[in-house]
Amino acid sequence: MSATDSRDLRVVGKRVPRVDAGERVTGRAIYPADLVRPGMVVGRVKRSTQAHARLLSIDTSKAKALKGVLAVVTADDFPEIAPNTIIPFGETGADTWVSAVIVMARGRVLWRGQPVAAVAAVDRATADAALDLIEVAYEPLPAVMDIQAATRPDAPLLYPDLKPKGFDGVPAVRNAASRTVISRGDTTAALASAAAVGEARTVIDTGHQGYIEPHACVAESDPTGNVTLWVSSQGGFQTEIQTAVILGIPQSRLKVVPLEIGGGFGGKITVHLEPIAAKLALLCGRPVKMVMSREELLSGGSGPAAAARIDVRVGADQDGKLTAIDGQYVFDTGGIPGTPTTLLMQASAACYQCPSLELDGYDVMTNKPRTEAYRGPGGIQAAYAVEQAMDEVALKLNLDPLELRRRNAAVTGSLMPIGTAFPPIGLTNILDAVAGHACWRDPLGTGALPRGRGLALGYWRGTSMTSAAHVTIAGDGRVMVTMGSVDISGTRTTMAQVAAEEMQLPLADVYVAMGDTKSSGYSDAAAGSRLARTMAAAVAFACQDALAQLKERAAQRMQCTAAAVTYGDGVFRTSDDGGASISIFDLMRATLTDGAIIGRGVSTKLPLGVEIGAHVVDVEVDPETGQVTVLRYTAFQDVGRALNPAAVEGQIEGSVVQGLGWALTEGFDYGEDGRLRNASLLDYRILTALDVPPIEVVLIETPVPNVPYGVRGVGEMPIVPPAAAVANAIRRAVGVRVNYMPMTPERVRAAIRKAHG
Amino acid sequence: MKQIISCRVNGEARDALGAGSETLLEFLRDGLGLTGTKEGCSNGNCGSCTVLMDGAPVCACLVLAGEADGAEITTIEGVAKGNDLHPVQAALVAHGGTQCGFCTPGIVLSAVALLERTPNPNEQEIRHAIAGNLCRCTGYDKIVEAIADAASTSTRTP
Repeated sequence: MSATDSRDLRVVGKRVPRVDAGERVTGRAIYPADLVRPGMVVGRVKRSTQAHARLLSIDTSKAKALKGVLAVVTADDFPEIAPNTIIPFGETGADTWVSAVIVMARGRVLWRGQPVAAVAAVDRATADAALDLIEVAYEPLPAVMDIQAATRPDAPLLYPDLKPKGFDGVPAVRNAASRTVISRGDTTAALASAAAVGEARTVIDTGHQGYIEPHACVAESDPTGNVTLWVSSQGGFQTEIQTAVILGIPQSRLKVVPLEIGGGFGGKITVHLEPIAAKLALLCGRPVKMVMSREELLSGGSGPAAAARIDVRVGADQDGKLTAIDGQYVFDTGGIPGTPTTLLMQASAACYQCPSLELDGYDVMTNKPRTEAYRGPGGIQAAYAVEQAMDEVALKLNLDPLELRRRNAAVTGSLMPIGTAFPPIGLTNILDAVAGHACWRDPLGTGALPRGRGLALGYWRGTSMTSAAHVTIAGDGRVMVTMGSVDISGTRTTMAQVAAEEMQLPLADVYVAMGDTKSSGYSDAAAGSRLARTMAAAVAFACQDALAQLKERAAQRMQCTAAAVTYGDGVFRTSDDGGASISIFDLMRATLTDGAIIGRGVSTKLPLGVEIGAHVVDVEVDPETGQVTVLRYTAFQDVGRALNPAAVEGQIEGSVVQGLGWALTEGFDYGEDGRLRNASLLDYRILTALDVPPIEVVLIETPVPNVPYGVRGVGEMPIVPPAAAVANAIRRAVGVRVNYMPMTPERVRAAIRKAHG
Repeated sequence: MKQIISCRVNGEARDALGAGSETLLEFLRDGLGLTGTKEGCSNGNCGSCTVLMDGAPVCACLVLAGEADGAEITTIEGVAKGNDLHPVQAALVAHGGTQCGFCTPGIVLSAVALLERTPNPNEQEIRHAIAGNLCRCTGYDKIVEAIADAASTSTRTP
């Protein structure tokens, strides 16, 4: 499919430093909080102090009267958006009603920290003083703070009028917005007759993406009503369309300019501040900068990762062949319905061939911030349960856990849980690589404390959605690529590699830009491990289109037919007439003013780039303190083809350490009053350089057919297995399962005390 | 109440008016326009605002601007000499030690301070030196490798 499939790659697949690394290490990279516009003022948000309450009134008169206050807004300043206001996004679309409720509460508040009003003022101190002058009258309503409380038969209903989906013929679970079932075969009979049943009953606390850059944006309007938004977002077009709908303005009036993103991991797809900043800018006629504080961000200003309760039973026969996977997956979606469970249930069982499945998923509402995506959303929690149940099967059958996986591994063509056949996958190769690797073969070694080794597999889907790029050729033959997407993981660098490969030019002859929403073609957000592979396809197509146009032009210059023109290494040649040639440099020097060369590339609905991996971890557990120390970590992953191995390793290493964070230390601690009690990066404890060993990465390459360069998704899968792998290692070190995530020292210690008295 | 703050920032004498409650971070970013120093948490937990104050790494969000009066401050903008990157910066580029880049300025300053006092650090010393700098993208490996590489480059005898 790619022009280069038949020859050796020269730039793609090489370790290349990021093209933007220089500006990053010198502090020159510009994030929205760094941007200064003439006359710029400060926007701040007033947030709910109640977990659940009716909004009786919001009096902004005193705030408006304060000197230096330029504008005050509440939900009354935005059009009301009805539920199921679906905007285009990927294969499914997205409900802008959800974004609108996240941006500004209307009529009632559903979690502490939900915005109720916002101000623009000349400086931060004035803005904060104005927030204090806004008087909000609440009528408190009973709140439910976790799945257990929300699903009690007498629990207050968050949405009394909501008709839960998927409960055909059975009573709905209290506060569940939907139920999803994946069912195949008879798990009840299979479990009854199984030689071994492994079980896991797990509780997972809310986690957070933990991007280091807080949400920020700058909005500026002109007197005719055009608005420019500078953002840190995973999707410029997603920001544009959500903001336009929430403001009720045409997209032609709004330009979204993506700046650098200080991490997103799923949490910067939905808008938070952007529509508010745009509205304030329109009202006061001054540029408005909004930056969330860390406390605001953690306490309801952003969308964390879902808490869950997942119970799983895995049955196997005497030979270690799986006969059943039976699981109940309950996810805490927070204060707005709509966290689907199909994808994560599929993910949890995808690595295995199993004749019977009964996967039962629930989307339950609580008075917590609406959850948003976090790298392999739901997959982490689901794998935590299923991979522990797998490990229990291995223990009961006295079978090597790797051997158990080998006997049941999904292969190309085997049936996925959702019922379709697997496209080409390399799981068997991955398991072979684990078996041959020192991380699995080396003895654990002994220390002062008990040690254990854990194994877990992971799957993520690697979606497609759509990407667009266009390529123009400069007057000296150099290549300019404009992507319709942001750069969240070194995308400019890998796309420069792709363009250099396709155009057969040196990397230094390519420039790649993130387009804004008025200078580039629609691309879906950077989400679902899709961007590198679908943007690589778009860039390849755009280069091929440009080359076809250049060949026409070269044919005219060389007075031959385009069909007779060949191109290689920057030179067009003709086989006619004694072999004339012209370089791309000379061609463009001679013909630039004949008209622009614009190559167009769009990739849509590419084949799935299924991501599968296996992780092996060695831990040491202190039974006295419950402290778990990670001694060694190895991550095996099939990446299809690594466009830039340094970037791929970086994605995997970072993803693993995030996974270890939720496994060991990261969890939201809510009080009964709905207050987040650990709203800082000291108390919501992200792992530091001292907490983790080097992460060894082993890349396996099984290219995806019919995708340029055969690229798979990379970034999400590696966060899926770590918590399960650590849990299995703890079990093998000290004989207990904690079953609570994060597996903090006090929880590990309690589990040991409970087991051993 | 505003006061005049006089200090040397990246080798240049700077005088600016600052409110008494203003932090060094606000003074640098808003007062002097040195936005390379990042704000990630405002309470000293993330290390994104690390600068050198009289050679020692500090979180600029935990220092009042007034405390910097008379001090020598180095921010990320002062680490490279023109276009000549400091070995730590060059190594971070070469090793893929910067991803989203938001924590990078703080990491650079912590590493520069480490190599000033410990020219040949071992891995544990490197990890200790950047333990106050949270990075959410890299998992730290490529940063640690880069700093080790920078150390060996800096101390290599000509």
